[in-house]
Amino acid sequence: MNGRTFYTGQNALAVEKGPGRPDRVIIILTAALVFLGALMIYSSTSVITYAMQQKQITTPLFYFKRHLITIFLALLAASVAYRIRTDLLGKLSPVLLFLSLALLLLVFTRLGISAGGARRWLRLWPSTFQPSELVKLSMVIFLAWYLSRDFFDPDNLPIALAPLGVMAVFQAVFLKQPDFGGALTLGVITICMLFLAGVRLRYLAGLLLLALPLAYYLAHEPYRLRRITSFLDPWAEARGDGFQLVQSFIALGRGGFGGVGLGRSMQKLSFLPEMHTDFIFSIIGEELGFMGATLVVLAFAGFFLRSTRIAGRMGDKYRQLLAYGIALMIALPAMVNFGVVTGLLPTKGLPLPFISYGGSSLIVNLMAVGILLRLSKGEAMADARQDKFRETIERKKARRAIYGAGL
Amino acid sequence: MNRALFLSTAVAFGFLVVIVRLGNLMLLDHERLWAKAQSQYQREKQIDVKRGVIYDRRGRELAVNLDEESLYCDPTEVASPRTAALEISSVTGMKYSDVLEKVSQSGGKKHFVWLKRKLGDDEVLKLKNLAPGGFGFVNETRRYYPNGSLASHVLGFVNVDNKAEGGVERMYESTLTNKGGKVVLERDATGKVLSQGLELESKGNNLVLTIDEGLQYIAETALDEAMRKWRADSASVIMMDPFTGDILAMANRPGYDPNDPGKTGPEGRKNRAIMDLYEPGSTFKIVAGTSAIETGAVSLGSMFDCSKGYIEAGGRKYHDVHKLGVIPFEEIFQKSSNVGAIQVAMRVGAGKYYAYAKKFGFGQKTGIDLPWEAAGRLPDLKRFNGASLPSMAIGYGVAVTPLQILRAYSAVANGGYLVTPHVVAQILSPDGEVISSFHGTRTRILKPETAATFKRIFSLVTEDGGTAKQAAISGNHVSGKTGTSRLFDPRTGRYSGLYSSSFVGFVPEHNPRIAMIVVFKGAKGEVYGGVVAGPVFSEIAEKAFAYMNVPRDDAFKNNLVYLGDENQNGVKGAPQWSRN
Repeated sequence: MNGRTFYTGQNALAVEKGPGRPDRVIIILTAALVFLGALMIYSSTSVITYAMQQKQITTPLFYFKRHLITIFLALLAASVAYRIRTDLLGKLSPVLLFLSLALLLLVFTRLGISAGGARRWLRLWPSTFQPSELVKLSMVIFLAWYLSRDFFDPDNLPIALAPLGVMAVFQAVFLKQPDFGGALTLGVITICMLFLAGVRLRYLAGLLLLALPLAYYLAHEPYRLRRITSFLDPWAEARGDGFQLVQSFIALGRGGFGGVGLGRSMQKLSFLPEMHTDFIFSIIGEELGFMGATLVVLAFAGFFLRSTRIAGRMGDKYRQLLAYGIALMIALPAMVNFGVVTGLLPTKGLPLPFISYGGSSLIVNLMAVGILLRLSKGEAMADARQDKFRETIERKKARRAIYGAGL
Repeated sequence: MNRALFLSTAVAFGFLVVIVRLGNLMLLDHERLWAKAQSQYQREKQIDVKRGVIYDRRGRELAVNLDEESLYCDPTEVASPRTAALEISSVTGMKYSDVLEKVSQSGGKKHFVWLKRKLGDDEVLKLKNLAPGGFGFVNETRRYYPNGSLASHVLGFVNVDNKAEGGVERMYESTLTNKGGKVVLERDATGKVLSQGLELESKGNNLVLTIDEGLQYIAETALDEAMRKWRADSASVIMMDPFTGDILAMANRPGYDPNDPGKTGPEGRKNRAIMDLYEPGSTFKIVAGTSAIETGAVSLGSMFDCSKGYIEAGGRKYHDVHKLGVIPFEEIFQKSSNVGAIQVAMRVGAGKYYAYAKKFGFGQKTGIDLPWEAAGRLPDLKRFNGASLPSMAIGYGVAVTPLQILRAYSAVANGGYLVTPHVVAQILSPDGEVISSFHGTRTRILKPETAATFKRIFSLVTEDGGTAKQAAISGNHVSGKTGTSRLFDPRTGRYSGLYSSSFVGFVPEHNPRIAMIVVFKGAKGEVYGGVVAGPVFSEIAEKAFAYMNVPRDDAFKNNLVYLGDENQNGVKGAPQWSRN
């Protein structure tokens, strides 16, 4: 280990204490955000809007009911993830990654569903599944596993940047869908984890230079360029490309300090597109005001900082990277979503973790929380016992080698 | 430095930026964005106003509203424009090519095209049976005038968008439609209205006219009959209460049907009673007569020499119809002597004469509440030449409307007041409450004695030796004056061979109930006012009095009511009679 990694072993003492209880702060924050999400989905979709009529959705509880089912499934998935041994998870991660890639590619077959000009979903009775969400989690686990292997050397260029090759494959598929937001999030998470693992800064800086022509090319996709320009001055095109952002501003501005009150949003009446998915935060701002919106932001910040603290307590590099990766996997999309909704970042479709309507995202995110909780419990002790067991076997093997098989 | 700490700090900072941005948008921009939001939820809508109903003075409906369907089409929804156009044109009688053009607005993104406004019931039924896709009906109200052309010049009419085009409809447009009938609606992004319980239809205020449907009918029937008889170019009748200025009837020929105003040209829609200017002729002698008595220039019984049959004044010769000899002042009016009238005017003098002409309101609008009233023309005193006074004395060189003449004679009838004519008596709210009533101003222009004198003088006109015995009615004494004048043709700048023939008067002489003017222009065969207009006056007045139950002047002798033959103590005695 060198000084560039954050693993210092200073907190090793904490590990000795385990196994303890899963982290209560994480549980409370997650539960609160999921609860708020359900509430806001109920609020924002309780009016049958024109868009809903177009989709022949005639019951006001359509989205809410489906969301409740999703929460149930997500809790199941989380409890399964909680029970999987973390080191086993790491070993399985290449398989997991390969599986996600296969699912991702299935999108382009007849099983895929296209909507809004993009192919991102798989037909999965009775609902759909978005493999790109699973890719994120698989990538985080894989990276944590890979970057903590003994052969990993942050100063060795091919080894240090090999994960980027994996990332590039996924990004290529994402862009084919197209899912620019997904590709970017994956890239940012990957680079952050490489950074944490101690990869030389000049490698990462060089990487940014490589990315420039790519960014230039992407920016020249006409619709993307429009999105970028409309984000800079949405009011100039308030009826065109800036419409969604302007409506988001209006929703937030209407909220003021205390909000207009739960359920009293006007913007949800078809003014704000994607009000229950990517732009649900605007409705939160409108109904619950600056107070409510700030609390949500603080909840995510709290989740992130608490997760990094858990990461700091971990006794080995794999678990540290895994916990930190999960923290990033939740916090970065949240921050990007806030940025988009408030006009700090160009508009792109990215759900708000735990809150937005959308099953795949919620299931995968709660699975990640499940893993995080297992880590916070201090499962390391249990695993350490496993290590001890392995050590005994190794010793036996060595003794056999020394004394010969005949012994 | 610790990389994890660095990254955590960066992420935390990112969240902080978001919070600052939220504060900026939600706290600092709150007011501005709130206003933006309101403006997109709220939409002011001009609410559909049902025009108020117009009643006559006895509450009979003169203008009402009918609900009618209008056919529209969404060209983007029409599957087969040709078939649809064929069907529509066969039912409505519209031209196939016109319908096809509207139905197949190719290229354009219009979603709404009127096909035919205000359909008949049978058309609606047939179209609804056909029910081609992409067509629909909108309920619209149509103004309907149940009496057709009756009082059409007073009422006016409305166009297809219910906009007034004349008469009280136009004059009282804002009253009838309650302008400012706007509501603020909340709506969602698709335009669906969210507000509930708002009255989206408003009713305008109702009008009660001074017009009496019965009198109007009497006047118009008589006018039609006379038009047939005299084959005149045009004619007008105005009947007014001389004391209040209430217009009881006002009719013109040619006329029009306000339910189908397009059928008649603008000539038919012109309210000649207040818009047509003409030189009044002898009816204008009232100015010379009254001013002479009022100023003392002439006393009753003064004699005037009209024996030559003509008079030269200002370098012109003015003739009488007959040589009348030396006649007293009163006979000048009874026999309508031009020579005498000019002498009277000369004695009054231009200045005083002119002042009286102005007092009578000539050259100014009467102020009637109808649109486009003409003011007429009274030449400026400073520009009088030698011929001005003698010409004006016999009603030439001035331009007046029939209503102005009628008002002048009403001043004699009512004891010397100039009244403001009007056609609207009351404005009622949709619930029937009186919002306002007409209270006209009146100005004294003549001494009561002068008015009384001229009541008598003008009554001679309809007696033996007068110019309008034809205007007399049985039972009541008619006071009035005939007028016959050549018509000036503004196109040629000369007098044409046509005449205006008029009679203006009031009845009964002593307690006038109605004042009325009848004017014919371009009557064929006869031209004298007494012959052409007099009988029409008489016919209308007689029927009007029957309709109004006006007692005969001689009714005092006959109209005794039998009270019974019991005295106050219930004892039978001599029969008791009472005067009604």
